[in-house]
Amino acid sequence: MTTPVYAVENLIIDLYTPTVSVRAVDGASFEIHPGETLAIVGESGSGKTVMTLGPLGLLPEGVAIDMRGTARADGRDLVAMSQSELSAMRGGEFGVIFQDPMSALNPMLKIGPQLAEQARRHAGLSAADARKEAVSLLARTGIPDPADRYDRYPHELSGGMLQRAMIALALAAKPRVLIADEPTTALDATVQAQILALIRQIQKEDGIAVVLITHDIGAVSVLADRVIVLYAGQIAEEGSAIDVLTRPVHPYTKGLLASVPDFRSEISSGTREIPGLPPNQTKVEPGCRFAERCSIAQPSCLARRPTLLPVGDGSVLHRAACPVVLNAQGVAHQ
Amino acid sequence: MRRMFLRRAGLALFLMLAATALTFAIVTAAPGNVAALIAERAAGAGADGEMIKRIADELGLNDPLPVRYVHWLGKAVAGDLGESLRTGKPMMDEFAERIPVTALLLFGGGVIALVLSIGLGLWGAVSNGGVVDRLLHGAALIGASTPNFFVAAMLVIVFAVGLGWVPSFGASGATSWLLPWFTIALFPASVLARVVRVNLQEAMSRPFATTGFAKGLSRRGVLLREALPNIAVPFITTFGAQFTLMIIGAIVVERVFGLNGVGAFFIEAIRFRDFVGMQAVLTLFVVFFVSVNLFVDLIAMFADPRLRRARRA
Repeated sequence: MTTPVYAVENLIIDLYTPTVSVRAVDGASFEIHPGETLAIVGESGSGKTVMTLGPLGLLPEGVAIDMRGTARADGRDLVAMSQSELSAMRGGEFGVIFQDPMSALNPMLKIGPQLAEQARRHAGLSAADARKEAVSLLARTGIPDPADRYDRYPHELSGGMLQRAMIALALAAKPRVLIADEPTTALDATVQAQILALIRQIQKEDGIAVVLITHDIGAVSVLADRVIVLYAGQIAEEGSAIDVLTRPVHPYTKGLLASVPDFRSEISSGTREIPGLPPNQTKVEPGCRFAERCSIAQPSCLARRPTLLPVGDGSVLHRAACPVVLNAQGVAHQ
Repeated sequence: MRRMFLRRAGLALFLMLAATALTFAIVTAAPGNVAALIAERAAGAGADGEMIKRIADELGLNDPLPVRYVHWLGKAVAGDLGESLRTGKPMMDEFAERIPVTALLLFGGGVIALVLSIGLGLWGAVSNGGVVDRLLHGAALIGASTPNFFVAAMLVIVFAVGLGWVPSFGASGATSWLLPWFTIALFPASVLARVVRVNLQEAMSRPFATTGFAKGLSRRGVLLREALPNIAVPFITTFGAQFTLMIIGAIVVERVFGLNGVGAFFIEAIRFRDFVGMQAVLTLFVVFFVSVNLFVDLIAMFADPRLRRARRA
């Protein structure tokens, strides 16, 4: 097995605003290898973005953060790094695509020169070569007439084109990990498929690792090799995309998949919502975070925090944090 | 864009007319009799009622207000703002002598306010809640709430009287301008430093700032490259407003530092009930206000690519 390009272990992240503190990530671990696409799914506020971008120092300013655990990239721990080392990692090892390209690209800066600057800093190109590289990056991400778009400002491009430009920007420093934080959420449905196809194509060509943060199960089924299901800052289930999507074990995963509308059925008949709301994460409770919304919860669920255990014969690391289901399966096997 | 410009220019013209008409009415309504003043100056105590009446008729002072305004306006547009009742010289000659002094005062003060506010605002943003940031915040509060005659007095006591570095009075070489410049710049610099600081903070919380970090920029790099260009429009707009307000400060500062500018002339005009002089200075102020604002609007439009390109649409 290859060495992971990004490996997070026992990560705990507390966020502090002036009024509340929230345990956004509660002891999560994951790793991703070159050429692999890992999808991280969960509801809004489940900690997907904080878990992935937090170790890189990419959380909004004004939120105080306390981070424990390790996050390794290139053999070094991001959590223990100085600010300047971390900046170099962000501009080198990692490329990031954000949800809304209209607000993620600076309205006062032209698109092309930003790409050229990244290429220059990373590869030490001359100004002329960097410009060529930027234009070819724009072309590669499917932007028509890239030489003209080079000198355009963000407001002159459509949302889909901007997201392509954002991808070009993320790729400009030749990262080993591409983190896509809900890359299609703000886009038109027809454009979403194009952007997903573009990410897949780039990953195939460059063999880079892709972390896809999303709540779009459709996007997961298109792109992901592996899936992590996050609930209230804890990993509920993880495994290959096929295992998790077709043979979910954790009650939350089942609920999440059941809540996805199926285009073949009526919304009223085919779709079920998970009752209740995600828990208040301001208090750290023992026990399973999902228990209060879970239909099969038992008293023991509230007493001890479930750990991730192999599912069935434990093929390709399909693991779930639900002893109730796993015990029942174990009984069935015997 | 051209239509936009024409509309703005038309509005500016209208504002000038309205403001001069208003000041004309107010100055006219102020206590004091122009004809009596002129008669007294010409004949001393020998001025009698008949002479005053004759002068009033000659000057058309008994005409209805609108007629007098239109009469004044016609001459003003032709470049004749009348003769000062105090000095007897044409107001245009007074202005030719005094506008350079006031212009230099405003220009120097404006440059200092510009440099200080951007520099200190950035410094505060770099410090981001640290000691420097809090000290600058406090200093800006004090700077924005201290009246400039007091500032002037303190500066004179410390730097002119105490340390003897600069002259306390008059325009005698480069160093004599330093105290007036800093006095007049203190208020706008304090306000603008806060504008810079607050808008930078706002920009740093926007998604494009996160993208800047993701590109590998340091926090200082994100501040300078990503956030600073984004405060251009609010900064330019506020700077324009503060710059026009500096003319009010000039009235006090010129007086305190013995600078022979338009502001000092205005005070004398009020003391002497020099209605012609007052109206001329107020007209100058109106033209200054309106044209600076027009200019600032245009610059702000060019500073933002979204507005700049809108003209092509």
